[in-house]
Amino acid sequence: MIDLTALAAAVHLLCSSWQPWLVVVPGILLGLIVHAVPGLTTSMALAICLPLIPYMDFLQALIFMTAMYAGALFGVAIPAILLNVPGSAAAVGTTFDGFPMAQVGRHNEALGLALAASCTGQAIAYLLLLCFAEPIAAFAIRLGPPEMLVVALWGMTLIARLRGRHLARGLLAGVFGLLLGTVGLSVRGAARGTFGFDLLLDGIPIVPAIVGLFAAAELFNLVGRDYIVDDLTRRRVDAGRILAGMRDTFRYPGTLLRGALLGSGIGILPGGHAIANLLSYSEARRAAKDPEKFGKGDPRGIIAAESANASSEGGSMATLLALGIPTGGATAVMLVAFGMHNITGGPAFMRDHTDLVYAVILSSLAQVGILAVIGFGFIFVAGFVVKVPLRMLVPIVLALAVIGSFALAQNMAGPITLAVFAVIGWLMQRFDYPVAAVVVGLLLGRLTEGALLRTYQMSGGDIGYMLTRPIALVMLALFAISVALPFLRPARPQVAAGG
Amino acid sequence: MAATPARFTFRARTVVVDVPHLGFATAIAAWCAWFCQDAWRAQRDVENLIMILPASLLAVILYCFVAAGCVHIVSDPEQGAVAPRQPLAPGMARKIAGTMALLATYVVAGPLIGFDIVSFAYILAMLWFLGERRILVLLLVPALFCAIAIYCFNTILATPLPLLFFAGDAS
Repeated sequence: MIDLTALAAAVHLLCSSWQPWLVVVPGILLGLIVHAVPGLTTSMALAICLPLIPYMDFLQALIFMTAMYAGALFGVAIPAILLNVPGSAAAVGTTFDGFPMAQVGRHNEALGLALAASCTGQAIAYLLLLCFAEPIAAFAIRLGPPEMLVVALWGMTLIARLRGRHLARGLLAGVFGLLLGTVGLSVRGAARGTFGFDLLLDGIPIVPAIVGLFAAAELFNLVGRDYIVDDLTRRRVDAGRILAGMRDTFRYPGTLLRGALLGSGIGILPGGHAIANLLSYSEARRAAKDPEKFGKGDPRGIIAAESANASSEGGSMATLLALGIPTGGATAVMLVAFGMHNITGGPAFMRDHTDLVYAVILSSLAQVGILAVIGFGFIFVAGFVVKVPLRMLVPIVLALAVIGSFALAQNMAGPITLAVFAVIGWLMQRFDYPVAAVVVGLLLGRLTEGALLRTYQMSGGDIGYMLTRPIALVMLALFAISVALPFLRPARPQVAAGG
Repeated sequence: MAATPARFTFRARTVVVDVPHLGFATAIAAWCAWFCQDAWRAQRDVENLIMILPASLLAVILYCFVAAGCVHIVSDPEQGAVAPRQPLAPGMARKIAGTMALLATYVVAGPLIGFDIVSFAYILAMLWFLGERRILVLLLVPALFCAIAIYCFNTILATPLPLLFFAGDAS
């Protein structure tokens, strides 16, 4: 599977000059810092750095961008854990258990867990990419709308699992989110649910909506308190406890590995990186013997979400390098960088520049180690957020979120969405609706509609068409097993007793 | 937002209704129904309604279950007096309403007037509203925030923000 000659050439490329390595630390730091601001995204940060790309050679440019991507993938976890602010859709799953851990003074451990899970997830994904780059690409090209539809349906089961204490309220919240996700222009150009505002033709801005639902709603509840962590003795930022959190990650190898494999697999699909963390969280919760602990500060929740989020980078890089197809905003910007060097990604690139591809993968593996060190220092500084009085933190975070939302949307739609969803989020919390279910619906709404529509168009409405798609059938079988397992499990002891 | 449900007597039976929750659920269901109608009006074909129509119907069905849970008929007038949710701590309703109102003002005024002056005013107002009374903190925190945020967005990130005083070349 590995072309050893190309691998040796890649090692030579990386070791013969120190120049490609110069950009790793700034790249990781930029990625980390950008995601400390709610509303800013990896693709935005990468796009901002595009003018620098012509001044770097191609390998250096790719290393710089993957370093930024790697930093950003972990960076989103920091505000998600400390403030319940998922900087992007990729960190939504991290908030479920991260913020409850922070609230009881276990922020050090939570950040350590996230860092170790993120680094391990990335390392596994890149190792997979190194060994199976070509088979992954061959597999990715056979995935189409029916397979995406199965993935989207799988993601939707999370709505039922996040239902909270009231099934009907949870499902209503999820369906509400699904419908919100389809606001805007339909595939045939019909404007739906826009109230006549042109700003909504592209749909509801997702990131401001998520920040509003999660963060602002939580911040409204915090205005009556003095600090995020009430107990003074638990407010410390402790390197030892961060390290303990990092060590704890490896106490759950199954969760870690499942998350990394799921993330790598889902990452190759368009938009997959946004739902990889949710799917992994859902599967970890399903597989757990004590699922009721999830959502209350369970380390496995953070590990599952973060390992999948980080490893989705490897999957999306496989599609980018081998097929020249971007699966999200960040890889789309990377493709622009390819164009700046007159290089076209795809099978020809893989064949003619295998050494370059291996060099990028090897440097990304090295970046994981560098990220572990820089990330540790970064979270040590970021951890001091719990020491800031909430009367200062709340207005600063809200103001940053509003400015970030404006910067992202470049119009009033961003801040207004944030404010509207903040109020909706607070009301949902107040009436015991699971906010996370709306977010899952919002993320999956357009994805599911698109996949459903394209599957319908391809099949002409004939359900038998699915039988001609073996990958979709296998995925459907796995999905069915995943849904049925929780119902089958309690029956086992009875069977045994009966036997 | 009362935590105690409203009570009505009807034919010697007491009906306990969680009016705020019922109102909220009704608002969600009404929006879903309106959205479906709007999509139907925009284009009546499978491509447009393939997901919206079934999802909206499901939302209305789920709403019926939620609404039914908001209404309880009790024979004992004392029954059903339990609050459906934790009441807000004293003064919290005022603080939350104030925070929402200030956020709404900021969201509208920021892009229209300029994020520099409006951010300064918003953070100062929020600090005061949440109990900060030290003059130095009241002036220093908003000033530092504005300086750092505007420099980062406008200069480092080259993302133009509407500004009143520091527009310069970036905007």
